[in-house]
Amino acid sequence: MRISKKWLQQYFDSALPDTEALSDALTFHVAEIEEATSDMLDVKALPDRAAYLMSHRGVALELGAALGMPLKSDPLRKELPVFPETDELSVSLDAEGKCNRYMGALVKGVKVGPSPAWLKEALESVGQRSINNVVDATNYVMLNIGQPLHAFDAKKLSVRDGKYAIAVRIATEGEAFTSLTGEEYALPEGTLVIVDGNNDAVLGVAGVKGGKEAQVDERTTDLVIEAANFDGTQVRRTAQKLKLFTDASSRFQNRPSPALAAYGMRDVLALITDIAGGTVAGVTDIYPNPEEPQTVSASLLEVNAVLGTSLSMDEVRAALTRLSFSFEEVEDRFIVLVPFERRDLSIPEDLIEEIGRTIGYDSIAGVQLPVSAGEPEQARYRGIERVKDFLIERGYAEVSTPSFAGEGEVLLANPLQEEKPYLRASLIENVKDALTRAAQLAPRVIGPEQFVRLFEVGNVFTAKGEHLVLSVGAVPLSGKPAKAAELLQQDVLALSQDLVGAPLTPRYSLDGQVMEFDLGALNLEKLGEDYAPKTVRLGAFRPYSQYPFALRDIAVWTPEGTTESEVANAIVKDAGAFLVRLDCFDRFEKEGRTSYAFRLVFESMERTLADTDLDPAMQRVTDGLNARDGWEVR
Amino acid sequence: MDSGRLHPLSADIRQIAAIFARMGFGIAYGPELEDEHHNFDALRMPADHPARDMQDTFWTKEETPRAPRTHTTSVTIRCLEEMAKSGQSEARMIAPAKVFRNEATDATHEAQFYQLDGFAVGPKGTVTLAHLKGTFDYFYRQYLGEDAKVRFRPSFFPFVEPGVEIDVWYEVPGKKGRWLETGGAGMLHPEVIRNAGLDPDKIAGFAFGGGIERLLMVKYGIPDVRAFHNGDIRFTYGFDPA
Repeated sequence: MRISKKWLQQYFDSALPDTEALSDALTFHVAEIEEATSDMLDVKALPDRAAYLMSHRGVALELGAALGMPLKSDPLRKELPVFPETDELSVSLDAEGKCNRYMGALVKGVKVGPSPAWLKEALESVGQRSINNVVDATNYVMLNIGQPLHAFDAKKLSVRDGKYAIAVRIATEGEAFTSLTGEEYALPEGTLVIVDGNNDAVLGVAGVKGGKEAQVDERTTDLVIEAANFDGTQVRRTAQKLKLFTDASSRFQNRPSPALAAYGMRDVLALITDIAGGTVAGVTDIYPNPEEPQTVSASLLEVNAVLGTSLSMDEVRAALTRLSFSFEEVEDRFIVLVPFERRDLSIPEDLIEEIGRTIGYDSIAGVQLPVSAGEPEQARYRGIERVKDFLIERGYAEVSTPSFAGEGEVLLANPLQEEKPYLRASLIENVKDALTRAAQLAPRVIGPEQFVRLFEVGNVFTAKGEHLVLSVGAVPLSGKPAKAAELLQQDVLALSQDLVGAPLTPRYSLDGQVMEFDLGALNLEKLGEDYAPKTVRLGAFRPYSQYPFALRDIAVWTPEGTTESEVANAIVKDAGAFLVRLDCFDRFEKEGRTSYAFRLVFESMERTLADTDLDPAMQRVTDGLNARDGWEVR
Repeated sequence: MDSGRLHPLSADIRQIAAIFARMGFGIAYGPELEDEHHNFDALRMPADHPARDMQDTFWTKEETPRAPRTHTTSVTIRCLEEMAKSGQSEARMIAPAKVFRNEATDATHEAQFYQLDGFAVGPKGTVTLAHLKGTFDYFYRQYLGEDAKVRFRPSFFPFVEPGVEIDVWYEVPGKKGRWLETGGAGMLHPEVIRNAGLDPDKIAGFAFGGGIERLLMVKYGIPDVRAFHNGDIRFTYGFDPA
């Protein structure tokens, strides 16, 4: 939620530090700051604290605790007035208890018009648009103390027996609703709505958005003001179904206290009568099950046992005082009266968190865990890694491929890509695909090899269940395809005989180049019992080009005794900046001369290379080699 | 024959496993396709609770839908259940494994990635928030280097109380040091302990979880998270030998 620094300042006598300091204070004591400008903070209130922290008052209170700056006055600690009652407005609630409290106020004789400059400015400073003085007043109070509010034009409601009637009920499926901003909805089953109790017209979707039906406009003179509390789950479901997420729904879904409604009503009535005039005819308050005040407690022993600290009674007392909690002490136990707006304080650990974050987690010194008895259980893991090491020694490279697949046995209801709606039932297709791409990339990545060899260890999902599978594959880069199948069979046999010591039950792809088997069926614990996986340390990542590489071969006669690296250096010297790899793939001697054949790999990070890049480079290399005494490009 | 290569994720998980082994942590496993109870409900994330918004979830199209797990915290709750069955009173485990989030992918977001979750529990009072800090002080100094240090920020995860974010100060060689957000942690919520069948008056401890790829991305300078799981050998072979 966006919080204005100027708005916050109203809570304090002394000047607040800059937003950077405010941001730090909040970050290390209560909540993450998503964005900070010189006069605004975007505070990310997580679900546990959203009931009180989605308000300027909540943030001010937290800043007061973090910075040790007491609040001038706290609107939620100022005693409530006794609201006048009225016979002119009745309120009735649904039978299912989805509305915890509904306060309706009748205000007569207001003059709707533009808001005063301070109010416009306050709303605009947090990214809200000014609409008119009445609507702005409801929004201001919500942003100030967190209670969503709504104003209806009373004259647009019907009157029976001299009474306005507000009712809360469940909508019929498909019931039509037009929102304040003109969107039309067919309401889903179970939606909680606010209706005109005299004619059953829908006035608003409870806790989400008001309707067009009784919209306040410039001719409005009489108002029905709503300060209510709706069931959080109910509001959340409705907002999701309608895809309508509002300031009200984001607050109600976090279950603010029904007690807050009265503070919202007090403040909004004061503000409206102040800036739009009018008089309060009365308030009708239906609150069937008022919440009792709660306490939460923790002993000093418990505090230190959770935090791992050695705090004193004085230190805990100071933290609770900074948080403005009312508390008493019984021996070493602190019994805190839970402020009504706090919905996150019910067990000792909740209170311990308050103490910990107020003292500051940076003051908790790290302590090593005591040495544990016995060897940690890592045998299964080490067994899996042992199989990987076995394959790596035989030239295989490990890949990781997506778990989503075009075909499979377990279907997702909400896949990321429509063409991959299943969880993979096998690794074979993925490894095959990786091999095909690897074969194309081989000259660039692994050089002149006979085969590309890959493996993957991963989970697959079949109708029968989930299995840990090893898939291994090889494709030839030169020579007959059958050779790869042969190689694979040999290596699988070696795996079975030399490592596992038991026959495997592999499934092969049709061409015999990829196989997989159920790795989880092996006794991995036994395999890993006394094995330490090889430590592999990596250096920096070398980003690869998104553009294709190009190949050129060159063969050169050299005088007897010329080494491979001499030739390589001679090539590199003239090949230019696009040369990214150089492999010698042939060498033979004849009549006192040595022939070397090299493959040059060229690539650019910025573009696809053309012959106009490569031909001149190769010409330079050729000329450079030919210029040497006794060297001759073939 | 050029020697084969280990995937960089496997290489670093080996280092991580070895460091945690020195602190007495085993490695635990659980299903990738998880039931709602172990992924959410037992971890105090009931349906229709705003906490569920914190993780976008894939669901299977089945009579009783299951979810490709959104975190390996599901492994933690399964381990705690095992403890309850076997009558153990202490355990330390990590679960470095694949998780899933239903969110649009880009250079810093993947729908599938690896998470390092773990926990340490013991008789109440023997495993504290200070131990959590000590564990991560040690871990990051071993994994990233002696200059690494950790700090906690208050946060919220339904399965812990108190809940914190762990940041680590890391100086990439040749660059200015900075604080990195690495994941969430805290003291296991007593209800979670109870949900597993253990007595929260007797057993307590910490839990933690965070993405692994992002650590490697910073450590090795990997610009795009999507390179990890697309089966491209250029990635496996894309690291200078250390």
